[in-house]
Amino acid sequence: MTKNFSEVDVVIVGMGWTGGILSKELAESGLKVVALERGAPRSAEEDFSIPRMRDELQFGIRHGLMQDLRRDTLTIRNNISQTALPMRQLGSFLLGEGLGGAGVHWNGHTWRWTDMEFKIRSMYEERYGKKFIPEDMTIQDWGITYKELEPYYDKFEKTAGISGKAGNVDNKIQEGGNPFEAPRKSQYPLPPLETSLACDLFSGAAKNLGLHPFPMPTANASRPYTNPDGAKLGQCQYCGFCERFGCEANAKGSPLITVIPFAMKQSTFELRMHSVVSKVHMDKAKKVVTGVSYTNLQTGEECFQPAKIVILAAYGLNNTHLMLTSGIGKPYDPVSQKGVIGKNYSYQTGTGATLFFSDKIFNPFMSTGGLSILVDDFNANWDFDRSGPQFVGGTTLNGGMFGGRPIAYHPVPPGTPRWGKPWKEAMSKWYLRSMSIGSSGSVMANRYNYLDLDPSYKNALGQPLMRMTFDYTPNEHRLSKFAAQKINEIAKSLNPEIMTPASPRTGPWSVVPYQTTHNTGGTIMGTNPSNSAVNKFCQSWDAHNLFIMGASLFPHNAAYNPTGPVGALAYWTADAIKNKYIKNPGSLV
Amino acid sequence: MRILLFSFFLTLSSVAVAQDATLGKGLFQECAACHSTKSGEVMLGPSLAGVYGRKAGSVEGFRYTNALKKSGVVWGEETLDVYIADPQAAIPGGRMPYSGMAKPEDRKNLIAFLQTL
Repeated sequence: MTKNFSEVDVVIVGMGWTGGILSKELAESGLKVVALERGAPRSAEEDFSIPRMRDELQFGIRHGLMQDLRRDTLTIRNNISQTALPMRQLGSFLLGEGLGGAGVHWNGHTWRWTDMEFKIRSMYEERYGKKFIPEDMTIQDWGITYKELEPYYDKFEKTAGISGKAGNVDNKIQEGGNPFEAPRKSQYPLPPLETSLACDLFSGAAKNLGLHPFPMPTANASRPYTNPDGAKLGQCQYCGFCERFGCEANAKGSPLITVIPFAMKQSTFELRMHSVVSKVHMDKAKKVVTGVSYTNLQTGEECFQPAKIVILAAYGLNNTHLMLTSGIGKPYDPVSQKGVIGKNYSYQTGTGATLFFSDKIFNPFMSTGGLSILVDDFNANWDFDRSGPQFVGGTTLNGGMFGGRPIAYHPVPPGTPRWGKPWKEAMSKWYLRSMSIGSSGSVMANRYNYLDLDPSYKNALGQPLMRMTFDYTPNEHRLSKFAAQKINEIAKSLNPEIMTPASPRTGPWSVVPYQTTHNTGGTIMGTNPSNSAVNKFCQSWDAHNLFIMGASLFPHNAAYNPTGPVGALAYWTADAIKNKYIKNPGSLV
Repeated sequence: MRILLFSFFLTLSSVAVAQDATLGKGLFQECAACHSTKSGEVMLGPSLAGVYGRKAGSVEGFRYTNALKKSGVVWGEETLDVYIADPQAAIPGGRMPYSGMAKPEDRKNLIAFLQTL
């Protein structure tokens, strides 16, 4: 028997960064908001204090804060001729779950994506001609502009307490920042983090080669900080337990210590934990959604929560899954190229080199999630000519380490035996004496990379699993070759005693080794209903009271980490709902 | 010797002058993300209301390490100074994730502020 709740103004599915931002903004505006989170509650006090949080086995290796794949997972294949199989262990990407979502265990890298992404097709066509974009590359303009989003980037950076060095304030280039970033109105709220020896070596080498190094903008507070809402962040202690862990010093900008407690203060807000949403209900005649069905995992109860507005704020892949299981919007078909839900799934590509120096001590255990120096000369730099290396997109290069935890981090030179005494000796010699240089590269949308429902496998609720079909294309192979070449140039200029060079990623994508959790696409944003799931206000073309958040909105994936625009679009949408939609419900475009 | 003594007194007096709870309140920003100044409010760390003169590890409702509970420390000017300078060295096995306040005059000001709580 279904338990029916009375109607509220807004129901929000998922309580990470976007769910937290929307909950706070909308509840504070007086709307009655119910948020549903499938995972467990958690807090820094109860869950992240040391020594508990420094259990690398539980959190780093066994993914203690991530999604339980026994309940729900994806099936994976490289192309449409294969049969997809379920991902039974987390590997290539780590799905978040629980209060605060992946915002709890992220590294904090926060970028401003610019018009180079938002107007990607028009800008490349204008500069390189229409033929430069391969026929099967389904990139498109997003319908939004950097100028529109700038104040919301600013708001998100101040909420999360980003440490960094601005490179362009009001079109004035700033020494030490990223000269290729789009103009910003203000500095980052906090100065950059301290640098490590690895950072300094990379920075010097990059400068010598004529590149423009700058510190990673990141939500690891370099100083104690009180954000505009009054949330207090501690100073980062460089403990090295950042990515995959909750912060023991409250120094990581996370929804759990910023937006969520402020939403909880509102009498208009209610949070229900352990609530897995299985369906968004639609009144097709009226072109509106009416509410969501969910299962209370603790009681087994089936519930229906009616709402005037439904917001999907789960992890991007789960938003797409929910749209598919709810039957809202037409599922994408790669053969006919009709339909939009599941379209343009994209990932990222990266490679790296390890450098070994007998005479240098790097102390890799003293680190944090954003402790690195980058160059953006081959990404945000529009003057960088892509016609030579022949790719659409770009890559950032970085030097530094995010931690040297004992189980996972044991760099050894090429040719070292993989076990036994020689391996142990090499590991103890080189643990302190090596550094790495890496890259993070974009992946362009391709007509054959997409998400749909699996025909065979089901989750614990009996729903079909989502099926991911993905592989790198020649465009990404060329980009990866280029990145490897540049990394090796920089690495060689540092004269390491031994080096494991970067090798281009040109083989098929594998879901097994960890690569990145930056999955994008599936419910993409665009200029019209034929090419996208939502308009520029993240509002469904099929139901005007349904809004979708997160990186599933992105029509392609850039070299940058996604959380900057994910946060900015959440504030942008909150404003659109409060100031436009509530006054005049209907399509906002 | 006279010169040495003189400079010793000079140092002492400058420290005494620098003890400023108002400046200490500003320095408390380094602690505020984890410690409340309201009595009974447990955050990532225990409330610091009434900390001065209190026995270490004695706030009810906060889960201390045995190291802190058995330290026998009573929080006063000297013990707080040593602890805030380098918590892990002062009480090994404690779990406050703070690498320490380096400047002696900053610590004096902070302790002056803690005395007011």
